[in-house]
Amino acid sequence: MNEVVAHTERAMAVFFGIVVFIVAAIALKNDWKAKGLENQVFKMMLALLALGAFLAIMAALNVLVGKGVEV
Amino acid sequence: MSQAGVVAGHHEEPDQLYVETRELRVQGFLLFMVSDLVLFSSFIFAYLYLRNTGQGWPPPGAPKLDLALAAINSVILFGSGATMHFALENWKHEKFMKFTGWMVATIVLGALFLSGQIVEYAKLAVGWGSSGIFGTSFFTLTGMHGFHVFCGIIYLTILLLQAVHGKYTFQKYTGLTLGTLYWHFVDVIWVVLFSIFYLY
Repeated sequence: MNEVVAHTERAMAVFFGIVVFIVAAIALKNDWKAKGLENQVFKMMLALLALGAFLAIMAALNVLVGKGVEV
Repeated sequence: MSQAGVVAGHHEEPDQLYVETRELRVQGFLLFMVSDLVLFSSFIFAYLYLRNTGQGWPPPGAPKLDLALAAINSVILFGSGATMHFALENWKHEKFMKFTGWMVATIVLGALFLSGQIVEYAKLAVGWGSSGIFGTSFFTLTGMHGFHVFCGIIYLTILLLQAVHGKYTFQKYTGLTLGTLYWHFVDVIWVVLFSIFYLY
C-alpha cells in the first residue's frame, strides 16, 4: 500500500514538475526584456523556480537522492 | 474587462505621490526580504556546519525522510509560484476574474503544501525522540519556512479581499506586486531547503 502511494506521488511529482518547469521557463522568456527593479528580481526567482521544479523531477526519478532519505 | 472588474480593479490614473514613492516601497520590501534571507541563511549555515563536523550523517537513530512526499509537496509549492505569477500577469492585463481564480489557486496550493508538511511531521514525530541535532535542524528550518507559508497564505488572502473591494486599480497595484515577490521568495527558500535536506 505504501509503495503504491509512493509511486503515485512520484508519478505526479514528475508530471506536474515538468508542467511547472515549462511554465516557469516560458514566463521567464516572456519577462526577459522587462525592465525595473522588481522585474529583475522576478526573473531571478522564476529561474530558481524552474531549477526547483527540475530538482523535484530528479528527486522523484531517484536520480538525486540525499543521505537519510527513504527511497 | 469583466463585469466584476468595473467595481474591483477600476481605472484610476496614478497620482504624483504614488509615482514618486512606488520605487521606494519596492526597495523597502526588498530590504525586508534580504533581512529574512539573512535569517534563513544563518540557520542553513548552522545546519551545514553541524552536518559536516558531525560523526557521520544522518546521526544513528534519526528518522528517514520521505523523498516521494517531499517531491510532490515541492512541486505543489513551485506550482503555486507559477499560479501567483499568472495572477499578477492577469491583473496587469486587466482580467479581474482570471486574477481572482489564480489567486484562489495559489492560496489552495499553499494550504496543500502546509497539509503535506503536517503529514510529514506526523510521520517523523515517531522518531523525534532520537533524532537529536538532525531533528532540531530539520524541524527548525522547515517549521520556520512553514510559518512563512502560513503568513503568506494570510497575506495573499488579505490582498485578494482588498482587490475584490477595489483597493487596487489596474494602474496602481504595488501591493499585489509585493505579494507576488513575497510568495516567490518563499518558493525560492524551499528550493534551498529541499536541496539540503532531501538531495544532499
